[in-house]
Amino acid sequence: MKHLPSLNAAACALMALAAAGSAFAAPAVTRLTPPSERFSSGRPEPVIARFLPGQRFDLQATIKPDAGQRITAARFLVDGKPVDATVAMRDCASGCVKGISAETAIATVRAMSLEKAGRHEFSVEATQSDGQKVSATGNFDVIPFAAAMGPKVKNIIILLGDGMGAAQRTAARIVKGGYAQGKVIQPLAMDTFPATGLVKTSSLNSIVTDSSPGMTSYVSGNKNNNNEEGVFPDDTVDAFDNPRIEYLSEYLHRTQGKALGIVTTADVFDATPAGNAVHTSNRGAGTGIVDQFFDDRSRTGLTVLLGGGRKWFLPAGTPGSERADGNDYAFSPTDAHTAEIVKRWGAAPGAKDKDRDLIKEFQAAGYRYAPTKTELDAATAGAGADKLLGLFAFSNMNVALDKIDGRRGVKQGLAGGSVVDDYGFPDQPMLDEMAKAAIATLKKQSKGFVLMIEGASIDKQAHNMDSERWMLDTIEFDRAVQVAQDFARENGDTLVIVTADHECSGAALIGGSMLTDQALRDAAAKKGAANLRDKVVGVYEKAGFPRYRIATDGYPEATDIDYRLLVGYGANADRYEDWRTNQTPLRDSQQPMVKGEPLKWYPANAAERDDAQGEFLVTGQVPGEQAVHTATDVPLSAFGPGALAFTGVMDNTDVFFKLAQAAVKGATAPADGSGAKHPAKAAQTR
Amino acid sequence: MPPAALAAPSAESSLNAAAPVDLRFSQFFKSPIGPAGLELSDTLRGAAGRAVRLMGYMVAQEQARPGRFWLTPRPVRMSEHADGQADDLPAATVTVLLDTAQRERLVAHRDGLVTLTGTLSVGRAEDEIGRVSWIRLQLPPDALQAQPSDAAEPAPADGHGHRH
Repeated sequence: MKHLPSLNAAACALMALAAAGSAFAAPAVTRLTPPSERFSSGRPEPVIARFLPGQRFDLQATIKPDAGQRITAARFLVDGKPVDATVAMRDCASGCVKGISAETAIATVRAMSLEKAGRHEFSVEATQSDGQKVSATGNFDVIPFAAAMGPKVKNIIILLGDGMGAAQRTAARIVKGGYAQGKVIQPLAMDTFPATGLVKTSSLNSIVTDSSPGMTSYVSGNKNNNNEEGVFPDDTVDAFDNPRIEYLSEYLHRTQGKALGIVTTADVFDATPAGNAVHTSNRGAGTGIVDQFFDDRSRTGLTVLLGGGRKWFLPAGTPGSERADGNDYAFSPTDAHTAEIVKRWGAAPGAKDKDRDLIKEFQAAGYRYAPTKTELDAATAGAGADKLLGLFAFSNMNVALDKIDGRRGVKQGLAGGSVVDDYGFPDQPMLDEMAKAAIATLKKQSKGFVLMIEGASIDKQAHNMDSERWMLDTIEFDRAVQVAQDFARENGDTLVIVTADHECSGAALIGGSMLTDQALRDAAAKKGAANLRDKVVGVYEKAGFPRYRIATDGYPEATDIDYRLLVGYGANADRYEDWRTNQTPLRDSQQPMVKGEPLKWYPANAAERDDAQGEFLVTGQVPGEQAVHTATDVPLSAFGPGALAFTGVMDNTDVFFKLAQAAVKGATAPADGSGAKHPAKAAQTR
Repeated sequence: MPPAALAAPSAESSLNAAAPVDLRFSQFFKSPIGPAGLELSDTLRGAAGRAVRLMGYMVAQEQARPGRFWLTPRPVRMSEHADGQADDLPAATVTVLLDTAQRERLVAHRDGLVTLTGTLSVGRAEDEIGRVSWIRLQLPPDALQAQPSDAAEPAPADGHGHRH
């Protein structure tokens, strides 16, 4: 009898537990887009997602039901009011990332926008098949336009030096401009811009970004994950179905009829050029990316596209083509999850069409096609083409040093030719020539244009820790800056910014060589740190002023000068340093013996290994073979109406709102310190 | 052009059958490259399926893949993580493949000019990650050392000398 109350108590406890068990089983929202701290941590600040009035974006939620259940309905609310638009639902029976259960639902509303400025809360409410409900809340801001103090800008030119931090800019100035008793003899064009600020470059998922969010932060106002462009992350494997964010180009084309120009020395499918027009979570999906350049040109206003990457534009059967169905895009017309992209964004549905001849399609759509510098000149002569496609290399264009050597007739190759001969493209334009052609074409647009010009191989050569090649690429980039500045001076209606997506390699200007070039060559033969570091690296006053002679073509006559500038790397991988320009053809003459088989090999997963050359080993801080991006802030310089809005320490996403303000409502700051509405014609500070 | 037969005659029998043809990158196609794609030369087409000897530079990769490497007329470095397929490979790049029984092996990078002998294959081929190649050199098993090299320390990298 004594036990009965205990049994009852135990039974009650068991029943309570069982009831509690089923109450704990509930559907859960595992992702809510746009991303917010409100959703992730409960804190309302900092606000992650911000939009312009009327800027389009997608709402999305990933909802995990209990085992054996399904999500039967979902809806979104903004500021407590249900969103009046189709909610596309899909499950994860296939096509979702690993670890997501098959019954997980993804609910999406495409292309929504708000006009009302201020903080907005949004939520998803979902219902499970057993009737249980779940909801989750996030937030975002709509940033209001400010009252203008100055004119609207007609054109925006964004010059982006990929990987170009303060050290890269300084090195280019030292090489190109020269110093006399501490004063610069000839400043870089970007040195003469009246406003400079510092930009914080982190991405949505790291302090160290890459070129995808490094570009899209500037032109969408929102952080993206590394490797993703113009989209927020999702839980599907499809690279093209992610929640989108409207680009500056799309917004200004839609609301003002502005045209878009993209100019780069890289393969045009690369992240920086693509991150102005294409929405994808896979920056490597080349076929789909270039297809979308063309298919969505009425959304972006794409009018000029110049760079490398011809391999993506050739039909798959043409030798040299890289097109493949595996990285193409195609939206299902029946599955609402992607059909709504077509319907609500007005995007093209796409198709797996590797045999497509994109060059011909561009031409049929009225784009003049230029495969060489000669053709580019012809395309812009006289009245000039109205729309321009230039594809000057199969992948990246050759770097400035190699293009200039080609023009100077420097021939050191296996076949007795120059680098550009060996690549089969001896007539490639320089970036400033491409910039001129782009501006000549775009300035005919009555509603104005957005133009992005990228010096792409500053970064690529900094990864290689190839100092001379990135220095010359920075000089080439500055020549393009000069072209943009000269154009902006013509009518005073163009805002020009010079910036970088991130810094690359932790480049440091450590000093000057204490040796002549010949003595340096002799030291390399002696090998080791004692000969190649201690006797070479002149620090402090021993650095002096390295003097490079500039040829009439605007580039150094030689990079292997006596008492050259020396660059160290803070984000370097292991490398052997002899301080000399990587002229491997000279190594050929030093190594007349060509090596043959047998080749060394290792089982898979062993680290690659090379014979140590016995030179001066600089041990890397980072693993692997290449220097990496750093988290360091980068300088941004501005010229034109409203330039002085670009001062202070700003987030890269802030830049988007400043650009939009200038184009939509008008400048909120003067062009320069004189308060003049039109920037002064004369060159300014040294 | 018609797709090339990828099942080429075995490398070994080709090498026994005839002396390898000396081939140069500059012979591959019409250069300068025209406005669109590559125009493969008769020399290249004629060498398809035959044993050839080719001199070039091994591409220095950041993320070497087992069983293959690239050979180019100029030394090239790749930053696959940062650049993906926005790379500095020329159109004349040859994809060098190890013998099928050796596809799990990582080939050590070698600086400077290298001469390789193998069976040439020409035509479009897509590998397992979707990368397209047009010119491939199939190496025989004896292209590799008989033994693996002394085991390197596992990643992170140790003292590689990539003096490019």
